[in-house]
Amino acid sequence: MTELGTEPDPDESALYVFAVCDAPDPRVFDCLPGVAEDQPLRRLRFGDLTAVVQTVRAADFTDEVWQVRMSARDELERYARAHHDVVSAAAASCPTVPLPMATLYRSEERARQALIEETGRFRTALERTAGHSEWGVKVYSAELPEPTPTTAPPVPSRVSPAPEASAVRSRPAPGAGLAYLERKRGVQAQRERRYEDSLRLAETVDAAFQSLAAAGRRLRLHAPQAEGKGHVQVLNATYLVAERRAIELEALTRRLRGATGARIDISGPWVPYSFVGEV
Amino acid sequence: MEREVVPWDNPEPLRGPIGVPLVDLLDRVLATGVVISGDLVIAIADVPLVRLSLHALLSSVNERVPAPWADGGPL
Repeated sequence: MTELGTEPDPDESALYVFAVCDAPDPRVFDCLPGVAEDQPLRRLRFGDLTAVVQTVRAADFTDEVWQVRMSARDELERYARAHHDVVSAAAASCPTVPLPMATLYRSEERARQALIEETGRFRTALERTAGHSEWGVKVYSAELPEPTPTTAPPVPSRVSPAPEASAVRSRPAPGAGLAYLERKRGVQAQRERRYEDSLRLAETVDAAFQSLAAAGRRLRLHAPQAEGKGHVQVLNATYLVAERRAIELEALTRRLRGATGARIDISGPWVPYSFVGEV
Repeated sequence: MEREVVPWDNPEPLRGPIGVPLVDLLDRVLATGVVISGDLVIAIADVPLVRLSLHALLSSVNERVPAPWADGGPL
């Protein structure tokens, strides 16, 4: 089925599928560029569902081109936002199941065939997410200075007599090796305590949001570089919340911030991207 | 930042790429949704794409910098 090895003809076209919906209002796509500049977004009926699609040049969407595109941040961002804009526009007009970025078919017939085969899963996803939105919750551990050996717990006096300690810097005092080990152990213990605190914090916040949500998922934690210095992300989760309960989210977040002292960011409502697949 | 409202239900979708941090967007547009096998680039819907995109993110400028195009159109 996959033909990654074959180079597509420069003029060959492919069909990019953004999302599957009930009955989207065609006007919402009029002003959106999608992922190709020269072709409009359009609707593709299959069974009683509709896919939002766009014809693109196959040569712009080969495996190699995508590998390069995905490693350039600006390009990645352009495509991710273009995809998201179309999905969001569809979702604003009717219940929508987003497809992952870069789902492409060699022809309209191939697309229709694949979509028809998956109709059952689309229906299930539409039912599961009806009347719900997705909300992201990110939690960062309270900022603590990285423990340094010099602020380690006091060393027992039999190991290094305090008054002379600084005078004998150049030569290790008797027992300096043991003191070093104990300092190291202190740092290690502190690190472990902090790690356990983070896990507890994540569990507390997750449990609170789970109690409000119809479903929840943990996403991968973001590396510190993506968030700026000094913030260690301890929870990156996302929840499917009934629209009538969304109003409770803000109060819950405020309460949790007060109880834990942690930075808690919430984002939403999102199109329920994370809850239309195998949950 | 108290709370970020993602404008997907905004009446004017063309207001452009605002409000949604790229890192959160990628968490959602890459790895989720109903995964169906596409014809052309099936490999990128898999883990390698996620890893590649993370690499691009980490080696890039700060997340809060606005999108690099001004007209609101991605292409």
